[in-house]
Amino acid sequence: MSPLLLAADELTPSVEFNKKNETFLIEGKSLLDNPTPFFSPIKDWLKNYSKEPNANTVLTVKFEYFNIATSREMLDLLKILETVPASKIIWQFLEDDEDMEESGQELAELVSVPFEFQPY
Amino acid sequence: MSEEILKALTQLFAIISKQDGGVSDNERGFALNFFQQELEKSAVEEYLNLYDSISGYHEQTGKHVDDRSNQPTSVKDSIRTLAICKKINKTLTQKQKVVVLIKIVELVSSDKQFTNQRMEIVNAVSTVFNILQEEYRLIESFVVSEKVSSLDFADILIADAGNEKSAPLQKHLHAHVDGHLVFLHVSSVEMYFVKYLGKDANNLNGFIMKPGRVYLFSQGSIIKTPDGGALYYSDLIADFNEEIQTIKLSFKATIEEFTFRNGVVGLRDVKINEGPGKLIGIMGASGAGKTTLLNILAGLEKPGKGSIKINGFDIHTDKNKVEGVIGYVAQDDLLIEELTVYQNLYYNAKLCFAKVPESEIQERVMKVLRDLGLDHRKDLKVGSILDKQISGGQRKRLNIALELIREPAILFLDEPTSGLSSRDSENVVDLLKELSLKGKLIFVVIHQPSSDIYKMFDKMVIMDTGGYPTFYGNPVRAITYFKKATNQVDSNRGQCEVCGNVNPEQIFNIIEARVVDEYGQPTNKRKVTPMQWHEMFKSQFKPSAVEDTREEPPKTLQLPSRLKQTIIFTTRNFLSKISNRQYLLINLLEAPLLAILLAFIIKYKSAPDGKEYIFRYNENLPAFMLMAIIVALFMGLTVSAEEIIRDRKILKRESFLNLSWSSYLFSKLAILFLLSAIQTFTFIAIGNWILEIQGMTWSFWLILFTTSCFANVLGLNISAAFNSAVTVYILIPLLLIPQMILSGVIFDFDKLNDVLSTKGKVPVVADMMTSRWAYEAMAVHQFRNNEYQKGYYDYEREESRADFKSAYLADELKNRNQFLIDNLQSKNDSIQKLISINNHILYIELINEPFKEGIAQLNLKDVFVGAGYSKEIGKQLESYFDIYKKHYQQEYNINAALIEKKMSFYEQQGFDIQREKNEFFNESLSDLVRNISTKERIMEYNGQLVQNINPVFQSPKPKNTFDYRTAFFFPEKNFLGITMTTFSFNLIVIWIMTLLLYLTLYFELLRRFVDIFEKVNLPVKK
Repeated sequence: MSPLLLAADELTPSVEFNKKNETFLIEGKSLLDNPTPFFSPIKDWLKNYSKEPNANTVLTVKFEYFNIATSREMLDLLKILETVPASKIIWQFLEDDEDMEESGQELAELVSVPFEFQPY
Repeated sequence: MSEEILKALTQLFAIISKQDGGVSDNERGFALNFFQQELEKSAVEEYLNLYDSISGYHEQTGKHVDDRSNQPTSVKDSIRTLAICKKINKTLTQKQKVVVLIKIVELVSSDKQFTNQRMEIVNAVSTVFNILQEEYRLIESFVVSEKVSSLDFADILIADAGNEKSAPLQKHLHAHVDGHLVFLHVSSVEMYFVKYLGKDANNLNGFIMKPGRVYLFSQGSIIKTPDGGALYYSDLIADFNEEIQTIKLSFKATIEEFTFRNGVVGLRDVKINEGPGKLIGIMGASGAGKTTLLNILAGLEKPGKGSIKINGFDIHTDKNKVEGVIGYVAQDDLLIEELTVYQNLYYNAKLCFAKVPESEIQERVMKVLRDLGLDHRKDLKVGSILDKQISGGQRKRLNIALELIREPAILFLDEPTSGLSSRDSENVVDLLKELSLKGKLIFVVIHQPSSDIYKMFDKMVIMDTGGYPTFYGNPVRAITYFKKATNQVDSNRGQCEVCGNVNPEQIFNIIEARVVDEYGQPTNKRKVTPMQWHEMFKSQFKPSAVEDTREEPPKTLQLPSRLKQTIIFTTRNFLSKISNRQYLLINLLEAPLLAILLAFIIKYKSAPDGKEYIFRYNENLPAFMLMAIIVALFMGLTVSAEEIIRDRKILKRESFLNLSWSSYLFSKLAILFLLSAIQTFTFIAIGNWILEIQGMTWSFWLILFTTSCFANVLGLNISAAFNSAVTVYILIPLLLIPQMILSGVIFDFDKLNDVLSTKGKVPVVADMMTSRWAYEAMAVHQFRNNEYQKGYYDYEREESRADFKSAYLADELKNRNQFLIDNLQSKNDSIQKLISINNHILYIELINEPFKEGIAQLNLKDVFVGAGYSKEIGKQLESYFDIYKKHYQQEYNINAALIEKKMSFYEQQGFDIQREKNEFFNESLSDLVRNISTKERIMEYNGQLVQNINPVFQSPKPKNTFDYRTAFFFPEKNFLGITMTTFSFNLIVIWIMTLLLYLTLYFELLRRFVDIFEKVNLPVKK
């Protein structure tokens, strides 16, 4: 399974999904009004991955900011991750960004994947 | 709305309003307003606090507002919004979600702060709610837009005073509205919303519409403008739905003159032309012919001179083309009182929709019940007028529902609001209006309508005494027309300027105004006669032309097969019968009670020593059997006599469906026969048990059941022919008494008026009586087939035959032969006559005589028919008769000995012959069927010898193959060369009579016959 690598730009986050390395990372900000085209390939990749996942899957999410449209996509993404056994989210946020921390907590309530919160 | 959802919504409101710029007072005001609408006063505070705390209303200051205006939505708000929407998704229906979305858009638009952030959230909400992007855009534009021209959508309709639409796609409706009423159709959920852009105080379902606010325009909603105009929900539906406008329907009535049976003219010169989607009122003074007009329009009566055409098809000559197109709701109830509201509608629907699956029928029934607000009453019995279970308004609505469910294209209603409260009346007419706006053409006879109801009509036909039409057109215009015609002041004003009310009474005050005499008292003379009004009307109005289509009118009726109809009718009938406890109880108890009464009374210590009851000596058995037959006839008649009369009104309605008459009759017969079977069985089982009539239960039952079935069909005949139950019940004795007179038991058939009687045969008039066939079958069967007689009957029959020949016939014939010898030379005319009679009698008797010892070589034909008789032959015959007598004496003895032998054999076997005879044999019945009381055992009648004694041992001697006739109590009958036992033959005869009566019922011969009599005018003094 080839890794999914997307570089960040002004409106989209960087994405690195690599099965071999066991690296799953989304980082940056997401501001697209319609983020669906951007997230679709990511979701597809994850769906494929979920068919033959690694023993453990840890997705690191390190957002500076994302808009409401992205939040919907993120929720979809996490829903796919729910189907992957032994998966986990590491929710990274700036130490004083309460908003992002609380967002992670609210999101954690919507899905069954365990969250780990890491300030940086 | 549940608390949970309301909280979620409050949070959504708060999150959206706090975005860039913070909460404005407008937004908070909107939220407050919303809370006030949804909540009790005490709870408003709580929700407002929740709103304030999330939106941060109290923290923000004027300054802050500008600072934060460009901040992006916080991630937390995004996630929270998402979480709320997900929660809403789980509990709310799509319709509710649309309402929530509209509320949110309205919230945003309340402050006109359509910033990106806000709209982004709203958009996100709509996607999470799975609302299509296009639909969201439509909703957003509808809520936000203040200019109608910017609303270029096919699902937008603008109602305003203008004549044209302001954008190409949108729909337009011309209405007297200040500003614009904007309607939105959300097609995915089939919902309608309205908002008003203008300054007037329009009224939606009794509430003032605030300009700019969005309201749900629910089913049956009405918007009333201050000047009295009204916009109906269905108006809008019709305009949104182009399909309705393509309905092809034309109704053309031309009635030149209609005369009643008594010669009075009922209607003159009525012309009505209408298309689809109209609600037409018919008004008039009493006796003006409103109902007559309605009945003629509906095709219940022929128009006399004139025609009624639907899409060019005459409703009387092209009946099958317009089948099911017309619906008719009579003034009286057409409900089956014993059934529930649901059942009434359900069985009606079953009869109308053959191809619709069961589940859909149930759905349709429920839908109609819901539409008419009867769903919560569905399991109540309708009840009679006196024993009301549902209110008058509900009865009326159910009556209408019966017609509505099959959606006829043209509906006629006779005073649907009579006897209803004004609220109920308005509901009913509202409903009719809605239907008309779905494309139905509806005619309503209406009496004293309220202003609101009056204005709902599209057109009004106003009739004057004598059947003169005096107006046909817009209802409000009618008022101005009549005012103008009589030169009244303010004649241009049809309705009150302040309240928009009209006064339909005014019309009749004007039409019927009377000339006043010099003392100021009104006289009997009218200012304007009906004829003058009519002339005025003719000169001013030309009936509008309606596009004449030749297509078959739209119809939804699919009749089930006859068998299915029968089943449906029967089930309906059965249910209504069993739900009527009184009816059921009386009918089921009547027979056993009568049996007990009768049998108890006539059971006495009948033994010769008077110590006990012995069946054999019960002299009441023949009378009991007659009573049983009379009871069977009586019960059969009474139970059926009212059947069709009760249904007549329902039949009138169902006549529009062209349901099968035979299916209907079969259903009646099925139930009645079943009831007859039960009644006669309980009667005879108990009667036989008490009187110890053994081994006869099933055969007696079969006879009584057959008799009762005959009576059922007879009862249905009179029930179908006469129009009141009283008439029918008066008729019952007329039908029953002859059955008793001619039953053959009370009066001897040989002792009836000579015009009627045929000696030695049952008179033909008696052959028309069921009682006679039933009685004969019963008596002969009991005598011949009881356990005791069975074993000896054949021997006794031979014995009796031999006895008759030796004891009576031999001497009789000998005497007659002697007469011939004595008068051989006589030329006397009267003697010649006797000679020829005697010749004939001797010939007949001898030719059929098997014992011919001594005369075998005689040519009997030569001797008696030709002139071959001589003294020698006479002497030869004389000695023959001696041998003949001896021969039969011998035969008698042989049979008597055989019987004796058989009896002793049985006795040896251990049978108690005497006991058997006591138990199974009845002396009185035996005397009756053997006719031993007769004085003349042998008699001459019409040149033949007739044996009066022992009919039950005789055999029929048919003259030809069709000659079934015998004397009463013959054991067999002969017809078409077939010999049958009296039991089977008589039963067959009764069933054939029943079948014939069914045919007269099917063709309604009796009704036609009665109608002919009714048409004969009796001279009445004038």
